[in-house]
Amino acid sequence: MAFLDNSGDIILDAVLTDTGRKRLAQGDGSFKIVKFALGDDEIDYGLFNKSHASGSAYYDLEIMQTPVLEAFTNNTSSLKHKLMSMPQTNLLYLPVIKLDDVSQPAASFSSNSLLFTEILASTAGNGVYFLPADDATRDELLNDDAKVKGVLGTNPVKHIQAVQGQDTDEISFTRDIGSELRETQYIVSVDNRLAKVVKATSNDEPAAVSYIDDDQVATYYFSITDAAYIKTFSKVSEKNVVIDGPLGSMIKFNLFRSEEIETSTSLFNELGGGSGSVMTISNINYLYIDTNVRITGATTGSSIDIPIRVMKKN
Amino acid sequence: MASTFKTFVSDDIANTRTLLHEAIPITGSIVNGVTYDETTPATTNIKTYGHGMFQSVYDYPYQSSSANHIFDMTFGHDALITTQGTYDNNINDLVSESTANLMPTSSADIDKNALFSKRKNIYGQMAQVLVGHDVNGEIRKFDIDGDLTAGDKYNALIFFNFSRLLGKDELKKGTFSLKLNTTADDALDTEHIFITDAGAGSDYRTNSPAGEFAVLKATSGSAADTANGIKAARNNANCGLIFYQAGVVAITPEVFNKFEAYVETPTSAEHGIGFLHTSDCDMNTSSEKMYTVMATRTNDELSLAVRKRIKNISFSNTTELNSTIYFCRVAHNDFNYSSNPTYLENSKVRVKNKSTDAPVSYITTVGLYSARNEMLAVAKLSEPLRKDPTNDMTLRVRLDY
Repeated sequence: MAFLDNSGDIILDAVLTDTGRKRLAQGDGSFKIVKFALGDDEIDYGLFNKSHASGSAYYDLEIMQTPVLEAFTNNTSSLKHKLMSMPQTNLLYLPVIKLDDVSQPAASFSSNSLLFTEILASTAGNGVYFLPADDATRDELLNDDAKVKGVLGTNPVKHIQAVQGQDTDEISFTRDIGSELRETQYIVSVDNRLAKVVKATSNDEPAAVSYIDDDQVATYYFSITDAAYIKTFSKVSEKNVVIDGPLGSMIKFNLFRSEEIETSTSLFNELGGGSGSVMTISNINYLYIDTNVRITGATTGSSIDIPIRVMKKN
Repeated sequence: MASTFKTFVSDDIANTRTLLHEAIPITGSIVNGVTYDETTPATTNIKTYGHGMFQSVYDYPYQSSSANHIFDMTFGHDALITTQGTYDNNINDLVSESTANLMPTSSADIDKNALFSKRKNIYGQMAQVLVGHDVNGEIRKFDIDGDLTAGDKYNALIFFNFSRLLGKDELKKGTFSLKLNTTADDALDTEHIFITDAGAGSDYRTNSPAGEFAVLKATSGSAADTANGIKAARNNANCGLIFYQAGVVAITPEVFNKFEAYVETPTSAEHGIGFLHTSDCDMNTSSEKMYTVMATRTNDELSLAVRKRIKNISFSNTTELNSTIYFCRVAHNDFNYSSNPTYLENSKVRVKNKSTDAPVSYITTVGLYSARNEMLAVAKLSEPLRKDPTNDMTLRVRLDY
């Protein structure tokens, strides 16, 4: 995508997204625009210079010179970060969503479940999760005590758990974050070809898909009424392991392999490089696909991408 | 409560219609073989077909992926004129003419029968689509003055079918111009005739099944065009029809013939409705006249004969844009914070030193969403817009269909 010409008047370059065209083509009334959001994907707020010698008019000098890219037609590529409306203008600290890769959930790895597992930082990087594509892969990973953490013994298998709150020591964690800043709805986006979202401790209760877009990205909505997925906090007496300040809410869920990756290697060849690009653990080769699961707070717009490596024993 | 979406109310969405015009100039060198070799497929702009019904003209060698289809050329005869027996110098009037018996004379004359049959079919097809049928279900003929119910008809026509790429939704009325070389010797280029639909913006017909049409006139061009080949008496005479929505121009082959006063039964040298003031055009290197080329040559040869005499074509097209305008009204207390990861540092808003500082955000993107939060359209600003509690704004996002 090229940059937009910013030498003259401000222009607005608008396009239908691929999903928009798909909905329009369907002709079933699903193409109906009812709301808008604003984004600032290109902006690096680190360039905001609050100590500029020439005064506040120069604080955002570099930001205002940021060139803006043309619109992407891929609906998942634009507006990754939305602007937020909040009635208060005196907020100095805002909540974030952080992956809770520290605490150990109570879930255990049963023999007939295929929940993802965490890999040691030394092997695949911190925060990368493995999703076994079939029983053989799962068993191999479970047996590999030397390399794979969280599968055997002291490290039970984890689910995905993300916590929302104000991650600062400046505010006591015992304070209530308040209804304004508490996230009450989460949006989870997953590549539907690879996995589906299930409850944190069970693989036989898939969550209801809200919609699947043209890129096969499935979107799930969870609200505070989905107690199996979302937990809210008011005042807590114990500091959270990843959020230093007041807590808002938490979402937890798990991923379950799709039938396609269980029964075929075609997607591994198409999306993962196939047998020419394998990952080796204890002399066992695994085909793999790297993907992301995205968790977005529907209220506050904050989001986090969680890297997932789908594994299949070669 | 914090929010990242703002719902449109009914006043925020408006619909409008805009007509967009593009000027389309087609220089003669693209179509007349001057800049390419007609016979070499890799270099010619002209695509021919085995069936010989029409030719396609491209703006670049047609085998190239860069080539754009400009128009097709084809020819049609009315059923009458294909009647076995006679084919007069006067292309548009079927009369008995013993010395120019150019029509197939027997059923054994297969090639000629086939050729004329194709042209008859083309005429019928084009007439059916463009001028329709009478009350008896018979296909009407193209009318010289546009009155389909009565008057003189065209029995033969040269058709230019402009591609959708150029014509878009319709040709703009009153903008069409075709300049032809009408010098007697086709190797020379000293006299011209202009065919236009001047005045059609306020003088056109609507009784065609294909939409609106107007009568084309032959003129001597502007005052600067001194080298005109038209007979003064024929200036502004009807010479064809233009169908705007269909993007079809039909001109009479008589524009290449010498004017002669109309007589009911002309001799071989008399053309009832020719246009030129000096003599007939030699349409090819064999110095054949238009009626001879039409009667004896294939459509490909006939097409070449006509294309060689095209100096330029110009018109404007029309694209009808139906637009929906979404007024994204951003109030002073809307969208002053961001969920951009760089907006926070340890949860602290980067653009603030203390809580009483005004929050600031910068808008680069507008997303339009469905009720299910699917992003259906996206718009980008050419530069970031600063948003803080001291300003409000309305961003107009227009989607054209």
